[in-house]
Amino acid sequence: MQESFPIPSKPSFAKVSRNRRLFRKRIVPWLFVLPVLSLNVLVVLGPALSAIYYSLTDWNGIGAPEFIGLENFRRMLFDDTSFGRAFLNNLIWMAIFLTVPVTLALLAATLLARIRRGAMGFRIALFIPYVLPAVITAFAWRFLMSPTFGLGAQLAKLGIPGLDQAWLGKPETSLFAVAFVDNWHWWGFLMMLFLAAMQNVPPELYEAARIDGASRWDEFRNVTLPGIRPTLIFMLLMTAIWSFLAFDYVWILTRGGPAGSSEVLGVLVFKAAFSNLESGYASAIGLTLSFFTLLIIGLFVMLRRRGWEI
Amino acid sequence: MKASRFVPAAFAITLLAGACAAPSVAPAAPPAQAPAAEQAPVAGAASGEKVKITHWFNITDGGEMANCIIDNIVKPFNAQNASIEVEAVTMANVWDASKTAIAGGAGPDLFDTPGPSYALAFARAGQLVPLDEYAKKYGWGERFAPWALNLGMVDGKLYSLSTEVETVVLYYNKTLFEQKGWTPPKTLDELAALAEAAQKEGIIPFASGNAEWKGVNEWLVGEWFNRIAGPQKVYDALTGKAKWTDPEFVKAVEMLTDMQRKGYFMGGLEKYYTATSDEFHSAFGSGKAAMNIEGTWFLPFIDNFFGEKANNTNDWGWVPMPSQDGKPLFNMAVGSTYSINKNTKNPDAVAEYLNYLFLPETQASYLTKCGLAPAAVKLDAASLQGLDPRRIEVLETLDRAAREGGYGYTTWTFWPAKTNTYLIEEIEKVWSGAITAQQYLEGMQKLFDEEVKAGAIPPIPVR
Repeated sequence: MQESFPIPSKPSFAKVSRNRRLFRKRIVPWLFVLPVLSLNVLVVLGPALSAIYYSLTDWNGIGAPEFIGLENFRRMLFDDTSFGRAFLNNLIWMAIFLTVPVTLALLAATLLARIRRGAMGFRIALFIPYVLPAVITAFAWRFLMSPTFGLGAQLAKLGIPGLDQAWLGKPETSLFAVAFVDNWHWWGFLMMLFLAAMQNVPPELYEAARIDGASRWDEFRNVTLPGIRPTLIFMLLMTAIWSFLAFDYVWILTRGGPAGSSEVLGVLVFKAAFSNLESGYASAIGLTLSFFTLLIIGLFVMLRRRGWEI
Repeated sequence: MKASRFVPAAFAITLLAGACAAPSVAPAAPPAQAPAAEQAPVAGAASGEKVKITHWFNITDGGEMANCIIDNIVKPFNAQNASIEVEAVTMANVWDASKTAIAGGAGPDLFDTPGPSYALAFARAGQLVPLDEYAKKYGWGERFAPWALNLGMVDGKLYSLSTEVETVVLYYNKTLFEQKGWTPPKTLDELAALAEAAQKEGIIPFASGNAEWKGVNEWLVGEWFNRIAGPQKVYDALTGKAKWTDPEFVKAVEMLTDMQRKGYFMGGLEKYYTATSDEFHSAFGSGKAAMNIEGTWFLPFIDNFFGEKANNTNDWGWVPMPSQDGKPLFNMAVGSTYSINKNTKNPDAVAEYLNYLFLPETQASYLTKCGLAPAAVKLDAASLQGLDPRRIEVLETLDRAAREGGYGYTTWTFWPAKTNTYLIEEIEKVWSGAITAQQYLEGMQKLFDEEVKAGAIPPIPVR
């Protein structure tokens, strides 16, 4: 009788190969992402989650926070009249920035796209305001808008009255005056993006349109706009989000005044945290800002799912 | 809120410490737990290495003052002290940076806050080292005016030392006044009549503006509170014996609002909101504006707007801000506070540096070399030689008034943080007509009550 020995089982080549594939497919990508992910958890997710906690506390930013539930949100929505005013100002700000700089940038990009000689000079001239520090731009415009020394005052001396107004000093014009200055620095950047997008539109499409007898307006409407739609929509989305983050120009030019007329949510957060030592309340406002931002992103996602080409 | 000024204050206060002793109530250097017992000894000194401590300086205003202090105060200390090296770090928005750093367990070893109410919050949060043992060791109780030392007391312990002593006065364009035959006003009625007369002649009554610093609002509100309602009434409200909604305060806000709406300040609210400090100081120096209600921090810089430097032939003068009865009344203030950061590894070294900063000779250097107002410590008159006699005059008048109880309370030193911010921000809504004086003060009272409940009211010197 022949003696039988158990044959040790060996993993088949196919099985090893499958495990390696799974490792490479499932694990290796995570290993690559891990450093960045860890950093993100540390500097983004961690503070974001702690902001949620602090928004539910009475905290002066230095001592131990005291849990007070939704009191900060109740106060923000029902007691603090500054919040409603600031929120409305943010909406006005968004409406301005979704229209004025976008229109200007589209117009300028369309015109510049056809210029060959001196194009770079124009582009640099229009782009320079974007690279100037906000504080320089704001100080320069505060002087230019001065009712005593500014452009309006100089024009009035030359016999052209009407513009020597305290644009930053009137409650009815202060927000628009600040938005004007911010827009002055911003629209050149937008124009450069649109210009870059326009240069990727195939020239044949324009030639075909011209052969079909299209006017300049028809070309713009039926060739240029569809051609740059992804860039345009992306910038509209980002502009809407950034509108809720407005702070620097408002702070430098008016501090939210006069009489709260140019106050935006970003300024309220700063005042709550640094002037009033109310970091818990500032977190609640900040969290609300994030909520509005998510709302805008959600709206775009929803429209895209419904088939909008954005 | 400190920083209620564009430039640092400077007036000699040789006698101030003694003069202001009367209003104080709390013990100047109360017994407390020994901080030294909890702290590490000055490390490194024995090994011959210098112990390094940090002091952060604000350069948001350009850094001229910070550099002057570093050159004339910090560097001499480093040169003469064998065991401690102070590292002077300059940065913009130093208050925001240090507040955040300290909350995160770091920050400068010597901690500078904008005023006693902010130091109070940090002390309550356990972020500051008690100074009582150091006060005993270095004799701060004898050196400081008790009222100023008491501003740093929290729950019976000393946590901060107040820096520059400030007050608000009425500057006037002397040359213009002589030309027009005007007399500097002593009473509020005279002030109102003069403002009306100036406006009729096309002259701006008061050079003013808050385009760069909203705190200008509180200079005005604080002055009107103390002058219309009276310092006793302000004291009563700060200590909870009276309400901010009482008729005297309503009257004060309404009178100030009336003057703002008449365009007495810079020619109208719109111009007040857009005028920078250079702009309104230039208008004052050139004679376009007759008067300027501002703190003593303007004194070292006033000559930039008069005479040769400003390309005019005008001169200036000053009087105490007019009061109801004509008696001089000065609202007392301190510029900022210094404390020892709880996170420091070398509290003893910081205390030694702190002691140096408040030595009479160091304070005299602050004043004579950098123009910065001294703290409420006794200075040697001989060390103030060479100062403008008008500054000395401010000192003497302030001294006399303080002896006779003629002092009031500035908002940035004695108001709690939230109420103070409200006072500054919301007054513009009264001026614009969005709310009434009564509504404004009701809002202030509500916040004040909350802050009383939270124990956020800084020590108030009694009358």
